[in-house]
Amino acid sequence: MDKMIYAILSVKKKSGKLDALLATLKGISGASLYAVVYEGIIAVVSDIEKSDLITDRSNAIEYASIIESLVQQFPLLPMCYGSLMESTDAIAEMLGRNYTELRQNLKKVENMREYGLKIFCDPEKLKSEFQAISKNDINILIEPSTEVKNSVYREYVRNKLKEHRLEESIMTYVNSVIAEISGCLARLNAVCKFKKMPSATIMVDAVFLLRKDKKDELLKVVNDLKNQYQKLNFVLTGPWPPYNFVDTRIK
Amino acid sequence: MHNNVVDRSKDVTILELLDRVLNKGVVLTGDVVVSVADIDLVYLGVKLMLCSVETMNQLKSGKSLEKESNI
Amino acid sequence: MMNENKILFDTGSLGELSKELGKLTDKEKSKLKLNPDNAESGLAKLVMTLVELIRKLVEKQAMRRVDGGSLTDDEIERLGETLMKLENKMDELKKHFNLTEEDLNINLGPLGDLM
Repeated sequence: MDKMIYAILSVKKKSGKLDALLATLKGISGASLYAVVYEGIIAVVSDIEKSDLITDRSNAIEYASIIESLVQQFPLLPMCYGSLMESTDAIAEMLGRNYTELRQNLKKVENMREYGLKIFCDPEKLKSEFQAISKNDINILIEPSTEVKNSVYREYVRNKLKEHRLEESIMTYVNSVIAEISGCLARLNAVCKFKKMPSATIMVDAVFLLRKDKKDELLKVVNDLKNQYQKLNFVLTGPWPPYNFVDTRIK
Repeated sequence: MHNNVVDRSKDVTILELLDRVLNKGVVLTGDVVVSVADIDLVYLGVKLMLCSVETMNQLKSGKSLEKESNI
Repeated sequence: MMNENKILFDTGSLGELSKELGKLTDKEKSKLKLNPDNAESGLAKLVMTLVELIRKLVEKQAMRRVDGGSLTDDEIERLGETLMKLENKMDELKKHFNLTEEDLNINLGPLGDLM
């Protein structure tokens, strides 16, 4: 019998609020949820047989729903699916060992929500657009200065250089888009994280952490961005629990 | 046509959710992070450990090695 | 609870996003599976991934030098020869171990993909 941890919460004072909420929810395999407390922080836990821990879609979604219910009322750090420990003592010890960092992290996410923004591009159109720009100066550097036959190696370098310059131009563009977004979001006091070109069609994969009452302002910012970058497609999702803003490394 | 858009919205919501709950969030000890000068370089996640344990158990029981997840 | 739609804003890339996310939650991509049947090729994949990473970094650095304009014709010639032979060799090895470009891009968890 193992213990599955769903999230780590901070609770201000001894109120029955958490227990009341936990009584209304059911964990994986219908197990009941309970709290393991260490001073001001609490791990929400249920008992589970390791064999029940099949990573299938419905279990993972169920697990996430519980986190979703909890985040509405308490600042929390969501656990990655599959977080098991042997006993409630082990859990309490773990909370104790990491107390300071967890408290700091919890403070950071208090009253905040995560939003995800993915920006899509058409890689072929992007390439042809930037190819046109860098075409002109490609030959300057590697034209032979003396009578040298145009070898296959020189040709190879020429092609690689073309590719390289294209990549650099595109990356400069991506950086400028990210700078623009960062600027807009700084005004909302948001924390931002970006991934550049995680795939050929996803140009930017961003996550933001901001106050939950700023949702409408965020929508306006994204709408403005859409108008500014007409050739790109935007998909904004949220609000989410702060999955991408847990910076505590558990010891 | 409308149905298609609604279904895809649901798909995307679920997939975004799964990406978060399976790949992000707090990860317990068992991770190996190889770092140099305080810069994290290589990450071997808990899931990799879970795989090995499962594989080992399957090997012990003589079963053929099957795919471990059904996502 | 989870029927709640989390999409706040969309200018038409849902299909694309659905496809990309499908890849992320696909067990095939992110796990470096080692079992007795493929232990050798699993290790080969790991080694090849690292070699490919180094090769790409070297190539990138070389191109920056060429772009900088500080190399002589002779140096460019020799650079081209070496890089081309390296790339050809890697292609050979990939074919030998039956690995594609995609195979060599392992997922590093919170650090994202390797390349």
